[in-house]
Amino acid sequence: MDVSTAVFAVSCSGTPITGTRALQKERQLNRFLADVERRALRIAEIGIRDRDDALDLVQDAMIKLVRSYSERSREEWAPLFYRILQNGVRDWHRRQAVRNRVMTWFGRKPSDDNDYDAIATAPDPIGRAPDEELQNNEAMERLEIAVHDLPARQREAFMLRMFEGLDVAGTAVAMGCSEGSVKTHYSRALHALREQLKEYGPEGYGAGEGKR
Amino acid sequence: MKEADDTFSKQVKATFDESVDKLDAATLSRLNRSRHEALAELQRPTRQWSRWMPATGVAAAVLVAVMMLQSPRSIDDFADAANVTDMEILLGEDSIEMLEDLEFYSWLDTADMDSDVG
Repeated sequence: MDVSTAVFAVSCSGTPITGTRALQKERQLNRFLADVERRALRIAEIGIRDRDDALDLVQDAMIKLVRSYSERSREEWAPLFYRILQNGVRDWHRRQAVRNRVMTWFGRKPSDDNDYDAIATAPDPIGRAPDEELQNNEAMERLEIAVHDLPARQREAFMLRMFEGLDVAGTAVAMGCSEGSVKTHYSRALHALREQLKEYGPEGYGAGEGKR
Repeated sequence: MKEADDTFSKQVKATFDESVDKLDAATLSRLNRSRHEALAELQRPTRQWSRWMPATGVAAAVLVAVMMLQSPRSIDDFADAANVTDMEILLGEDSIEMLEDLEFYSWLDTADMDSDVG
């Protein structure tokens, strides 16, 4: 039997999951993904500073989660989803590094992720004064740059704990490391960011509690 | 210090949440499409042998190792043939399926040989 026949034989085996249980599983997954997708996009976007590629990474993570882990319990989905997403972000950085090396070898200027403009990608203001909107966008831009510039593991720990709200155990699963490492990375990230952003003060974060 | 950390954390979280709330309609639409494409995976036929994935992944790795050790060619030859980058790709997470395919094709070949003999 040649390889093409073997692949056909494999792909034709098995049947789709049907019935009430399948419908219930689909609803649960839909709810989970709908709940997590926007934060996941922003987390990936901060990690790679490119919205289109971040959208691709989130879609890829969704597909892999559904394909490989849909039978796992609901509680396991978030750490698994973010583990897939973080692997995608790491692979993206590896590919960028290789691409930049190749472009440099051919004498072309490597792509610069600093070209990314968070303010330009922000939506039109809704019911806000222009100066207030600008202040909020600038606050997010400062935060994005500061988080993006953290060492990779600190950035992952910080975003998963702070932005997604995973607990230490869930973050450890998502990062593939010990809970102790998560605490260390998170603590270092928090203090590095405080140090880096202190000059802007509370008003530097336009969406602070007093703003709403 | 703890209080200062808490205040800072709340401010950072609020800034992030606002950026999430302000995602534009085109982006939200694309996320929605992505979600439905992912959920469509549930309706696709599953490969029954993929249930053995964890076990077959390990078995395939062991198989490759045994083949290398039992080969009359030296380990150095393998190292020359497969450079570091290739090994990284081979051992990468995404390559588990490929390793399983190797094992599957190996099994098919064995099955073919058995049927020829029979």
